[in-house]
Amino acid sequence: MTLEDHQHGSHGSDHGHGGIGKYIVVFVMLCILTSASFFTYSSYWPFQDTPSVGWAFMMAVSCTKALLVMLFFMHLLWEANWKYVLTFPAAMMSVFLVLMLVPDVGKRTRHYSEQRWSQSAEPVSDAAHDDDDESQHDDSHDNHSDKEQ
Amino acid sequence: MEHDDSGHHGHLQLEYQPSLPMSNGKTIVWLFLSTEIMFFAGLIGTYIVLRFGAPPGTWPTPAQVHLSEPIGAFNTFVLICSSVTIVLCLESIRAHKPSVAKIWLWLTFLLGAVFLGIKMYEYQQKFAHGIYPAKPHSLIYERANLDYAAAVRLPLKAKWDKLSKLSAEDAGLNDVQRADLQLYNKLLNGVVGWAEYQAADPTLSTGDRQIALMRLAEYVSGPRHAGKHHGHNDEHDKPFEEQLHNEKVQLSKVETDLEQQQQQLLEERKLLENAEDPLRLAVVVDQLNLVGADLKRVVDRLDGIDLVSELDHSVNHDFGLHLPMVLPSGNMWASTYFLMTGFHAIHVLVGLIVFLIAMPRHLGPKWAGFVENTGLYWHFVDLVWIFLFPLLYLF
Repeated sequence: MTLEDHQHGSHGSDHGHGGIGKYIVVFVMLCILTSASFFTYSSYWPFQDTPSVGWAFMMAVSCTKALLVMLFFMHLLWEANWKYVLTFPAAMMSVFLVLMLVPDVGKRTRHYSEQRWSQSAEPVSDAAHDDDDESQHDDSHDNHSDKEQ
Repeated sequence: MEHDDSGHHGHLQLEYQPSLPMSNGKTIVWLFLSTEIMFFAGLIGTYIVLRFGAPPGTWPTPAQVHLSEPIGAFNTFVLICSSVTIVLCLESIRAHKPSVAKIWLWLTFLLGAVFLGIKMYEYQQKFAHGIYPAKPHSLIYERANLDYAAAVRLPLKAKWDKLSKLSAEDAGLNDVQRADLQLYNKLLNGVVGWAEYQAADPTLSTGDRQIALMRLAEYVSGPRHAGKHHGHNDEHDKPFEEQLHNEKVQLSKVETDLEQQQQQLLEERKLLENAEDPLRLAVVVDQLNLVGADLKRVVDRLDGIDLVSELDHSVNHDFGLHLPMVLPSGNMWASTYFLMTGFHAIHVLVGLIVFLIAMPRHLGPKWAGFVENTGLYWHFVDLVWIFLFPLLYLF
């Protein structure tokens, strides 16, 4: 809404879409969004126990920031339709790439042999302080072998 | 894939253009940027897949790898500011204000340099803690096993050898060196050696053997920060100290037991030496040796317990040592971190070099295209960081 106001305000740009005011507004929004994702780091963030909420929130914030930068700073908002040709395929391929890596790399631990597990990183736990550590360890191993089946 | 545009579009009057409605330079920058999107998508995508595909619960937290979230956030702010300054530079050029444009351009350059400076500081912090992407320098071990214990012992042994060789020479050791020698001795025998001995002790359960090595890792590089935030060590440390105390009480009992045994055996040996019974004497001497070795191990361990229970943070931290640390999935973390931030830093550097071309010039209207294209690239670099910051610092 404010953006449109500024756009109509047209701060003396001969291209019809410039305007320092608009850039300042975008800048302020970017700063607010950065502090929003930084907020997840603070102890006031309400979803401490479910990190996935924070991750989703931060990714949404990052996408919003990326969109703001592309639309206004990179002037994509005012470009002709070629912008879709150049940005969409690349963006799609980025998503496909991640999806294609998931079976072979992302889920690789599901196919680890016992021998491979013996060399791989083990979970960080406070188990070293507990006396029932042994049972916990066996449990985690059982989980891994369950996944293999 | 097929487009159904053969028949009913015939009535459209299509206007064909020989090229895109913009300068060749801008077209090429945009083409370049679309390949750059895929390049960084490859890096970021790999990171995401590796990070979430790591063995469950192993990916290091920012605190474990000495990442400072506020510094990262500040760097984000710096890059956003530089994005604004470069866009304002372009606006000034278009408004025929070359001197103002120059100020904005210099400011952009400065902000980019600040970003790189902070990045350098951050890298330096990683290197100082032995976090490197690959093994010759990296001190990261995936798990606390016997390989790890050996990796801790070797540098200690090398230091110990060096000092004990010195002490054998005429000049001898100064006070600092003597204290160091004593420290290495305690660490080698009472901490590392004990952990290795326990890990190989067939009378202990698998879990107890593993725990001995995990505790070694904790002594060496400090309590692991399992949580996201600092300052939760109080409740974490309690069982730790309790355990050390229990171990000390138990071992003190063993010590007195062994001392009694030793005393008995010594007396027996004296009797047997007088009685001239060589066979029985040999058996007693053997037993005496075994008890002596056990006793030495226990006494060393008691020294070791005293050492580690007085630690402020960790052996590495308190004594300025660079011993290997256990950081599950830490090697993968370091590889992805340095690869992504490194490529991003190279892009920032390239941007700065391109800015340098325009900085000494008179930024008249004919520089508008150059600054616009450079700006597009610079915004893209900012954009990449917008994703890297939360992924690396806050996830």
